[in-house]
Amino acid sequence: MSNTEYPEEILQSLGDYNIDVRDFLPGHGGGAKLLLDFNKISGVEEIEGVVLKGREIENGIVADIIIKEGSVIEEPVHLCFGVKNETGVQEIFPRIIAEDNTEVKIQAHCSFPNADGLIHKMFGHFYIGNNCKFSYNETHYHGEKSGALVAPVSYMYIGENSIYENTFNLTSGTPGKVKIMLDIYAMKNSVIRSNIKAFGKSGKDSIRIRDAIYLEGENARSVLKMKAAAKNGGEVLMYGITEGNAPRCNGHVECQEIVLGKGSICRARPFIRAIDPTSTVSHEASLGRFPQKWLDELQAKGLTEEEATEILIEAMLREE
Amino acid sequence: MLLELNNLTIPTFDKRKNIVEKISLDVQKGSIHAIIGPNGSGKSTIAYSIMGLENYQPSEGEIIFEGENITELGVTERAQRGITLAWQEPARIEGLSVLKYIALGIKDKSNLKKKVIEALKTVNLEPKKYINRFIDESLSGGERKRIELAATIAMRPKLILLDEPDAGLDMIVIEDFLNIFNKIKELDMTILLITHREDIGMVADRGTLVWQGMSLITDKFAEVMLRYCAKAGLKEFCKRTLFEDTEKCFDEDYIDKIFAEENSK
Repeated sequence: MSNTEYPEEILQSLGDYNIDVRDFLPGHGGGAKLLLDFNKISGVEEIEGVVLKGREIENGIVADIIIKEGSVIEEPVHLCFGVKNETGVQEIFPRIIAEDNTEVKIQAHCSFPNADGLIHKMFGHFYIGNNCKFSYNETHYHGEKSGALVAPVSYMYIGENSIYENTFNLTSGTPGKVKIMLDIYAMKNSVIRSNIKAFGKSGKDSIRIRDAIYLEGENARSVLKMKAAAKNGGEVLMYGITEGNAPRCNGHVECQEIVLGKGSICRARPFIRAIDPTSTVSHEASLGRFPQKWLDELQAKGLTEEEATEILIEAMLREE
Repeated sequence: MLLELNNLTIPTFDKRKNIVEKISLDVQKGSIHAIIGPNGSGKSTIAYSIMGLENYQPSEGEIIFEGENITELGVTERAQRGITLAWQEPARIEGLSVLKYIALGIKDKSNLKKKVIEALKTVNLEPKKYINRFIDESLSGGERKRIELAATIAMRPKLILLDEPDAGLDMIVIEDFLNIFNKIKELDMTILLITHREDIGMVADRGTLVWQGMSLITDKFAEVMLRYCAKAGLKEFCKRTLFEDTEKCFDEDYIDKIFAEENSK
């Protein structure tokens, strides 16, 4: 596929994240890929060890991705769900299976640069086998009009001795209405790291993220980090859940949210539960403004308080 | 004169008592001036007050910088006039690259990378190794202090307030820091050094002894240090340590005289 066949707005829309979608077009780079132009599959490329099938349905697609047993996939698998239309409905049903002993990184880019009444829904199922290293990185850009309604729901099963890393990034542009729900079930000796970042920038932005990690296997471990900022009337609710349901499992939830300007609201609800006496689950949450010392340090370099706060938000949302 | 503190009194946050009372001192342009005194004497409080930090506002007195009364100005305004502070424990603002952090205070953004590289070289950090790194837990305390120092140098301020720059550093690093302070002086910047250590202070041209919240003497640093030792009753320590370029700063009779004066008070 040549660059001109894919909407230019989408190609350029992830620049703030330092992502050039061109690098992931079919024919570019060595990774498997699936590109969606609204509800039409505009490109699919499989590589050895990766089965990638897409089927168009009314208002969206079903995508099946299978990482074959024992495969170590060097290049990231790229999924680009772009919509250049202002309105419409896009529904994605990804079914992702990583068979035992596999390693893969999946990069999903959801870009809706002109959204103004656009609805994007996802209903995903992930099955990660035993002894896997699986990384799923989802970056969103919803344009500048706060005009998207985005509602992904995912269920993930992480097998024994597997490492699962999840990042979700919605810090560029205006989010609009976002409702995310993620359930992760972690089996014996698995390790889960999940980083969620979002930035609500206007009164029309409302972000609700509910991420839950259930430590179901002995010695399963998890860290769930949720970071958000809200300004100019934006609203963010982050609901981080971790349950320790097995012997010697260990989980931690961390929520950090910054509120700027009148009318902005940040809410954090870390919820932890342990039903096994040998499990450990902890949480920490902070809301409000940055510590005065951090502001002082930057202001002593000549920045105004507003500039210092912007820099600190940028740092917070970039931090791994 | 670059900086003058006139009868500066700084109360505690709840205003119930004063941390420092009627402090007066002056800092000459292009010099290294050390404020020395024991822990809790109010040295860092003076630095924070000069920088204009919240909760360190003076209740009396004035701060004059380049002839202007800046007592009522905020932190940003003071920084924009050429004052900055290198912190004893710089915060780890993770998520910022070293390049971005050092560049924050550079007003003229042309040739930005080159200026950052120069600043890194001044603090003896190899630019290639550090410029694209992030300020995270992989940096040691010493590296973070050097990066903080590089960020202040890159601003090209007129006055750098160095708050206990030796805290948490080993001797090898401290020795290197003393050389860096001299490089900063050569770059036509003035340093106000807050320290409780005589070996750090010996790099200073002049000093001020702060004792129990009051400034007792401003003079050549060795003279100030001698008074500090006399005040603390550390005669043997004084005889053992007060050297300048391997020469003793004072003969023993003079030291005995100063200690006798102090004892008679």
